[in-house]
Amino acid sequence: MRGRAAAALLAALGLAAAAGAGELLPAPPGLDAREIARRQEDTLRGERAYLEATMTVTSPRLPRPRVVRLRSWDDRLNRRSFIRILAPPKDEGTGFLMQRPNLWMYVPRVERSMRIPPSMMLQSWMGSDFTNDDLVRESSQLDDYDHRLLGIDPAPEGRDGLRAYVVEFRPHEDAPVVWGRIVSWIETEHHTALRQEFYDEEGVKLRVFELGDIREVQGRHFPHRWSMTPLDKEGHSTVLEIHEIRFDEAFDEGVFTTRNLKRED
Amino acid sequence: MPLELRLAWRNVWRNPRRTGLSVAATVFAVVLVVFFVGMAAGLHEKMIEDSVRLHSGHLTLSGPGYFANRTLAQYVRLDEGLRGVLERAEGVRGWAPRVIGFGLLSKETDAQGVALMGVDPERERTVSSLADRLQRGSFVGEQPRAIVLGERLARNLGAHLGDELFLYSQAWSLETAADLYTLVGVMKLPDVTLDRSLALISLADAQEFFVYGDRVSEVAVLAEDADAAAGVAAALRGDAGAFEIHTWSELMPELVQFIFLDDAGMYVLLVILVVVVAFGILNTILMSVLERTRELGVLLALGLPPRAVFRLVYLESLLLAGVGLLLGLAIGIPLVLWFAAHPISLAGRMAEAYELFGMEPVMTWKLKPLNPIGSAITILGVAAAAALYPAVKASRGRPVDALRSL
Repeated sequence: MRGRAAAALLAALGLAAAAGAGELLPAPPGLDAREIARRQEDTLRGERAYLEATMTVTSPRLPRPRVVRLRSWDDRLNRRSFIRILAPPKDEGTGFLMQRPNLWMYVPRVERSMRIPPSMMLQSWMGSDFTNDDLVRESSQLDDYDHRLLGIDPAPEGRDGLRAYVVEFRPHEDAPVVWGRIVSWIETEHHTALRQEFYDEEGVKLRVFELGDIREVQGRHFPHRWSMTPLDKEGHSTVLEIHEIRFDEAFDEGVFTTRNLKRED
Repeated sequence: MPLELRLAWRNVWRNPRRTGLSVAATVFAVVLVVFFVGMAAGLHEKMIEDSVRLHSGHLTLSGPGYFANRTLAQYVRLDEGLRGVLERAEGVRGWAPRVIGFGLLSKETDAQGVALMGVDPERERTVSSLADRLQRGSFVGEQPRAIVLGERLARNLGAHLGDELFLYSQAWSLETAADLYTLVGVMKLPDVTLDRSLALISLADAQEFFVYGDRVSEVAVLAEDADAAAGVAAALRGDAGAFEIHTWSELMPELVQFIFLDDAGMYVLLVILVVVVAFGILNTILMSVLERTRELGVLLALGLPPRAVFRLVYLESLLLAGVGLLLGLAIGIPLVLWFAAHPISLAGRMAEAYELFGMEPVMTWKLKPLNPIGSAITILGVAAAAALYPAVKASRGRPVDALRSL
């Protein structure tokens, strides 16, 4: 009698645990989590990408959101990228050159450039909820983490009609990574990232990265709206809206030089 | 009672040499205790004073959450209300508002992270010794966009007086904060971490740089002395309302710990000293009781109650200690007061050791009321404990045995 009660209790607990995990379906066998992560990265970045975007930073401190317009050249193959700020007027012409693991910045108003030290990587980038690290380290989501397929989410939150692989990223022991764990929702058909949740080493969820407005560009299903919400800062969020994106265009070598930083466009 | 007292006084001096030696030992112990406790009090007061004057003040008043987070998001508004509270507060020697933020500073390309502190040069002088620690150049405030750096920081940057440095950070308004600052002064700070990271600009420049309005990160307050800090903190807490106030003991827990350990070491030595004195008193009283066996026996035989004999012997012990105590205090207190008025300047190795800890190389004394009061209670307590055995022995004697003995 007692044994049966215990078994019933265990079964109930098991059901509760399954419900808590967002009712994931088991993934079909033969799927490689790392391969899914790689295809997500390919969809998002390509070998080379040029984009124009508007970043909107919302904060309880600001009477109206801070709007930053920018252009970016991303040469993923050579692990380097370049960003030029176009607006607001105060920041116009500011440039960022990333050459992993270095990050240079140029401020035209004072005509000076600076190499941002590694200790500053977790500081906010341009006042947004993205960090300097987000600019420099993106591609290491493949190299610095172990990947595990948790299952398939048949109905990701707010995404009608989509199914997503749920992949857990855990950093390698010696990887220069600040997150304890990242959980990523990756759409099953086109491998578009839908959502990433970032946890610290104690398992506390710190921020949520959501990707939406998926439109087809050069055969890729590319999200045109990226939004980052830190969970420890109430009322803060940053939305990056991409107006134009072109993949695999040839770049001038001169783009990724410190000299280009100082050029007035 | 006056009779007993007179009797006790005469008994104490029946052997002047023995009693004199015992009193001398007590005097010596009392003088040492008062002197060393005064020296430790002076040293600790000086350590606290020098530490709080380096930077923190006796207490800081800051926005809720600043102590834990230390970002621009926690602030207080330095408005008329707060100014009034600080001006009116009693026991405040000085107060200085500060804006504290994080910045990146570079001369060429490589940047160093700095603790950027905006200070009001006039007010800052009333709290901290930062302006006195200039090694070369001048302090902030004379020209706009001037910056003063710790010596190691300046060296790490390769910056010299007159250089234009690029200061970069994020403003409170989330805008980019970037400007050129001229290096006008270099400070030598005894705290290595500060020396490597502290950069000072004027409060007005900092509020403009960080787009911070009339906000400040903290107001550092200097009280009359370390002991008065808690009282000032309590008064401000009642007055100020929505602020966070921390006293030096919270700002510098390692200093509190050092003082505790230092005191503990000193008290162990003093306890040993006092125990030796106790045995001296015990010896004197016990000897005098033993050689008066017959006399005390006669008193008991004549009908003096044992209680009275006990009291008599007890009184003798307290008189002995009391004389020593009074003489000791009469020497010790002026001695400490004299040294308090005439601090000793140190030179050579000792001076270097003091400077290593960021202290002025000076030995000072301080007489706190607790020092003589504590000494008196200790010595009288010790005398009382030491007299217990001889007094019991004297009052329990059987007259027959006493009369039969020599």
